[in-house]
Amino acid sequence: MAHYKILGQDPYWMNFIGLMVLTVIEVAAVGIELGTTITLAILTVIAIPKFFMIAAIFMHLYGDEDSGILTLTALFPAFFIIIMVLFVGLTHPDAASGLPDWCRPGNYGL
Amino acid sequence: MSGGFALFLFTLAAAFEWGEFMGWVNVPLVFVSLGIVGVGLLVWWRQDWSYGVDGKDSMHLWEPKSTGTPFQNIDIRKVALWVFLMSEMMVFTSLFSTYMRYRLGIPNCKTVFNSGDWVEGTAVNCFEPASHLIASSWFHLAPGAINTFALIISSFTIVQALRYAKMKDIDENVRRKKVTRYLGTTWFLAVLFLTLKMIEWFLGFPLPEFMHEFNHGDSTIKSLYAEGYLINADHYQHHYYDTHYLESHGGMDQDTALYAMMQEGTHPGGHMMANIQVSATTFYVTTGTHGAHVFGGIVGLTYMTLKAARGGYTPDNAVSIEYFGLYWHFVDLVWVLVFPFFYLY
Repeated sequence: MAHYKILGQDPYWMNFIGLMVLTVIEVAAVGIELGTTITLAILTVIAIPKFFMIAAIFMHLYGDEDSGILTLTALFPAFFIIIMVLFVGLTHPDAASGLPDWCRPGNYGL
Repeated sequence: MSGGFALFLFTLAAAFEWGEFMGWVNVPLVFVSLGIVGVGLLVWWRQDWSYGVDGKDSMHLWEPKSTGTPFQNIDIRKVALWVFLMSEMMVFTSLFSTYMRYRLGIPNCKTVFNSGDWVEGTAVNCFEPASHLIASSWFHLAPGAINTFALIISSFTIVQALRYAKMKDIDENVRRKKVTRYLGTTWFLAVLFLTLKMIEWFLGFPLPEFMHEFNHGDSTIKSLYAEGYLINADHYQHHYYDTHYLESHGGMDQDTALYAMMQEGTHPGGHMMANIQVSATTFYVTTGTHGAHVFGGIVGLTYMTLKAARGGYTPDNAVSIEYFGLYWHFVDLVWVLVFPFFYLY
């Protein structure tokens, strides 16, 4: 369990409240209709701290004796994740039409 | 267990193709694979008590420590769980990268519709994000949004269960009640998550009459299934892509090439038909994989809640809750990314 405080308060409660607030902002940003680019930017900016808040505080990757080595373990697949996201997920816009027939829409009859 | 899951997926895929039952030949293998998963779960479950010095009812529990570098003096099961979670992260990353590639590589259905580059009666290949349907109104968004809050609350309740299980200066009965309540709440929230998922995917839900006007006059919130958002939807039609509907409801965007072409008489308008198999598949596979993890969590939580109700958790064996909590937080962590990019954007 955590041996530290956030703003003098219990870290789990603070983390919980923070996550709830960020989620409310996230949902509201979609409801307000700010346009695709701004909405995507807001969603991304909010998802990142939420991700780290859960990993660091709820999953104890911060503040415990073994946090350091377990964080490195958690980061180990980051290299492969970067490869997959950057070189598969974000390849050029025509990537889908450049795929072989068998993995293009309308051609799944293997 | 992993082998069992793999076999289960392969045999299930062989038994059902595009939702069609392909005969009984592969069904026995489906059950064999479930049996393998069950045996795996049983072995895992046994490990919950296998470290008692004096047998399963021992009060002298111990946790084996790693001796090798770099995990010296860290609980072996904790390290193993982290390695397992990272392999899980790879699974979800592959699903995300697939989604990103298709989402960026295939033209968006709305873009295709507005470009006028389509003819009524002929299906076009385009990407229809589920968010186009889900984020179309607060009512449609409600199940996903409630689920997001449910998972965050459940992450908090599992931490509280661990806190009370580890507390040493506390009455046994108070500990039993607190741990049971928090684990039970987590279980309830997990069940709520899957129930809302079923509503969102298949069931939909009716609205009270006074709310119809806020839902464009409709009396129900349609499920994705009812909207025709299916993995085999090669003739998908939605009123969003019907010029007659849009004109009669004042929803026609006048700044589009389609509108200009219709004004010039070079496009007759009509109802665009789309092949959205890729977009629906990426959505259902990713959110379904996440849902399967929630289901796995419910299985574990059922056992843990019953164990807690019998007073089975003490500061000595509270690590079980900690390890399950790591898995459960990971499920929440994945949802933190799935929700905005599959439900909102």
